[in-house]
Amino acid sequence: MLKVRENRRDLSSRIEIARVAVGAVFALLAFAYWYVQIVRGDYYFELSENNRIRSVKLNAPRGYVLDRNGAVLVENEPAYSLQLYRRESKNVNASVDFAVRLLGLQIDPIRARLERGRRFPEFVPIPIAENLTLEEVAAIEARAPEHPEFAITVSQRRLYKRGGSAAHILGYLAEATPDQIRASGSAHTLGDWIGQKGIESSYEKLLGGVNGERRVIVDSHAREIAEESRSESRPGQNLFLTVDRDLQHLAEELFADKVGSAVALDPKTGEILALVSSPSYDPNWFTRRVTAEEWTSLLSDPDHPLQNRAIQNTYSPGSVFKIFLAYGALARGWVDPDAQVFCPGHATFYGRTFRCHRSGGHGWVNLRNAIKLSCDVYFYNLGRRLGVDRIAEIARAFGFGEPTGLDLAHEKPGLVPSEEWARTKRGARWYPSETISVSIGQGPLLMTPLQIGRAVSALVTGGKLPTPHLFLASQDPKTGVRLRYQAQPRQSLAIDPKNLAIVKSGMWAVVNEPGGTAFGSRLPGVELGGKTGTVQVARRDAVPRAGVDRSRLEDHAWFTAFAPIDDPKIVVVVFVEHGGHGGTAAAPIARRLLAKYFGVEVPPRPGEPGFVRASTKPETAAPPAAETPE
Amino acid sequence: MIARVLPVPRRLDLVVLSSALALAILGILFVSSTTSGGRFDGLATRQAIWVLVGLGGLVAAVLFDYRVLLKFSFVIYCLSLVPLVYLLFFGERIANVKSWIRIGSFQFQPAELAKIATALLLAYLFENEDDAKMKGATFLKVGLIVGVPFLLVFLQPDAGLAATFLPLAAMALFFGGLPGRAWIGIVVAVALAAGIGWFVLADYQKQRIGTFLNPESDVLGSGYQVRQSKIAVGSGGLTGKGFRSGTQSQLRFLPVQHTDFIFAVIAEEWGFLGVSVVLALFAVLLLRALSLARVARDRGGVFLILGVASMLFFSVVVNASMMIGLLPTTGIPLPLISYGGSSVATSFLGIGLILAVEYRRFANA
Repeated sequence: MLKVRENRRDLSSRIEIARVAVGAVFALLAFAYWYVQIVRGDYYFELSENNRIRSVKLNAPRGYVLDRNGAVLVENEPAYSLQLYRRESKNVNASVDFAVRLLGLQIDPIRARLERGRRFPEFVPIPIAENLTLEEVAAIEARAPEHPEFAITVSQRRLYKRGGSAAHILGYLAEATPDQIRASGSAHTLGDWIGQKGIESSYEKLLGGVNGERRVIVDSHAREIAEESRSESRPGQNLFLTVDRDLQHLAEELFADKVGSAVALDPKTGEILALVSSPSYDPNWFTRRVTAEEWTSLLSDPDHPLQNRAIQNTYSPGSVFKIFLAYGALARGWVDPDAQVFCPGHATFYGRTFRCHRSGGHGWVNLRNAIKLSCDVYFYNLGRRLGVDRIAEIARAFGFGEPTGLDLAHEKPGLVPSEEWARTKRGARWYPSETISVSIGQGPLLMTPLQIGRAVSALVTGGKLPTPHLFLASQDPKTGVRLRYQAQPRQSLAIDPKNLAIVKSGMWAVVNEPGGTAFGSRLPGVELGGKTGTVQVARRDAVPRAGVDRSRLEDHAWFTAFAPIDDPKIVVVVFVEHGGHGGTAAAPIARRLLAKYFGVEVPPRPGEPGFVRASTKPETAAPPAAETPE
Repeated sequence: MIARVLPVPRRLDLVVLSSALALAILGILFVSSTTSGGRFDGLATRQAIWVLVGLGGLVAAVLFDYRVLLKFSFVIYCLSLVPLVYLLFFGERIANVKSWIRIGSFQFQPAELAKIATALLLAYLFENEDDAKMKGATFLKVGLIVGVPFLLVFLQPDAGLAATFLPLAAMALFFGGLPGRAWIGIVVAVALAAGIGWFVLADYQKQRIGTFLNPESDVLGSGYQVRQSKIAVGSGGLTGKGFRSGTQSQLRFLPVQHTDFIFAVIAEEWGFLGVSVVLALFAVLLLRALSLARVARDRGGVFLILGVASMLFFSVVVNASMMIGLLPTTGIPLPLISYGGSSVATSFLGIGLILAVEYRRFANA
């Protein structure tokens, strides 16, 4: 076989081909790198920055909330939570079992968290348990050497020092909802705890401060290598409330087994001294993450503990309304205070008989005694003469039908009926007989306890309508600079001092003169005036028929008081749902509050142990049960 | 022997030598950039020592007559396979594969030396096989010479390292004059083998190939390496972030950055300019080696240079492509630059053989 030997030139030409190929491949490589580094360089540079920079939020410590005397109502406490670093764990399931056994946790919620955590890179810790006790923290720390995958983190938790006390004033914190985050601009991010309801919400900006941010350089294990930049957080302001803690606590104690509301305020400034809505709830629940059962029980409670009855529930004012009608009519010159009306115990208007709460009648009564005795017939006549629109004008002058402007959200405006309202809103024309009901505070007329407190403030100060508020001052925890709340009272119906004295005198007589509807609640050492109100819930004859709980059909009891007569320092409004008569259910509470405020002894009331009959023989304050409400 | 050939003109090719040295120095520099201060502290010094060892090997290879080596190449080849067989039975698994021999704190990959031995034996084969068209027997011999060490390494199982034997086969077949029809046959055969191979590949190998095809699918899994490497390369831009200032590398987002991914570190810290310098140095080295092959005195010398150059070329291209996701992550280091004693030392030994051929171009002995 002939062997054809290769020509060296063939080999050389192959080498030449190889040279071209090598050159071409390197050119292609260079082109590829040019594309990645030059064309796409900015894109990858950004990715590398995102890789190495982590933003760490510096939570601003939230401001404390204090009462008007500096007693702390809300503060912060350290809260410990347990985090699992999957990267450090040899066996995640074994780690979880360890934590479950040590802390006695439920396994299922943790499994769910682990499942959710799978979406995040391994270096992101997974929260296992919150709100550990110090003993639990110690137990975990003691086992830290064998379990490096666990870490305890400390955060600040809101502490409402006396549980449910003043809950409706304070509100609570919860994680910001997506809507709230959107509404806040960029102030809040997911996971922020922000104020929900109460002053926590109203003064979120002030209390919350401004979160800071650390930008840290991390390595691929998310370990912090260095700090790139830092903007310090600005701590929230401390907030002084107008509330007097002791008065607030007393009011809450007095309402312990009652449903209703009480408001005490300074009539000149509008500063709220106490504001109670009963039943209440513990805002600490929310900070410790409410369980589903707790939520359900809160929401399904027929007494609606979350509702702030002082500003969110509207009620018929009952006879309390008579003082505003009397004042308004006097101020406008629509009534002669000395003119007497004969009360036979009932009166007939528009073919219908309206009864006075005292079936025997009050005889001849003038305006002062009509207030003292809460004579319905007198006010029926007055109301009929004024007409509903003038009544509405007076009511509006006292701020009814509009929110008081209190610095809490979701305040109800109430309702002041008028002919126009009946025509446009209700869609059924106004019947003159309705005017008769409205003139004793019944009918469609609706108001909140706070509105009454504000209106009484205006009344006893001669027509200056204050803006009720809870904000007394704020204080910067760093600089100590204080800000005070400024609100000018609005001039409402002006009145001749002589005429004002007549109304005040009637209110003084309610408490201090025998026959007054709250004579049992007079308070030696304190010159106080007041007015009772009893609102019929169900028609008398309906009570025996209805199979429902009798307590739900009881009348609502109102009492409002102010003191001292000449230079009022405090106005109190007490409302007890289904409490019965205003003079017996509501007035004693107001009396205790006033006694506390003025620092006087509280003598026992008639019927209470230790009661000594006074020289002036008091008449029984409570009217017979068979009578219609005042 | 040295004395006898001294009167003949000696030519040491400075282009190949200096570009190889420059690359090795860059390697030491960037090994120090990625390892100083960490748990790998001191590796740069070790790398420098390995470069010196390699240079010693280079000098020895240049001074020793490569023709003698070719004569004994079969013995050398057989000896180099012994540790590979040993590893297969008694090897210690390091990083899932049995490719390292460990003596004290000293590790060595015998497969690296086996590559040089294989190149020598192939050169010896083609010293005598000079048919215009490759004979079937030669084809089989090439397959056997490359196939045995390839298989031994493949079974370790280190497919990446095994793949570095393939350029030797390709070189031998191309320059040995395999006819065009045969190439078509090989392509078909390889395609078939790949199809069957898919069933025998280890899971992690399949996953890497899958990742190569779709790197965004699993950011924190095996796609993570490619992604982080691309970020490192891309973020370097034109001039880079500065020596030791690469965030991807210094913060250890890059995997095995002082070995397989060292080129990404250079790309990040010195940018496209650094990349260009490294690629240019390799291109100069390889093109110069091909020129030297053309003018080599004998066929053995030609094939020896081509063998070494083909291995270098293959490793450089595969490694550089790997960094930017053009090829799957295979664990092939960048010759002369990546940290690793066996790789650096044998690279220098190979460069030494290239120089040796040129050194004796006009010698008659």
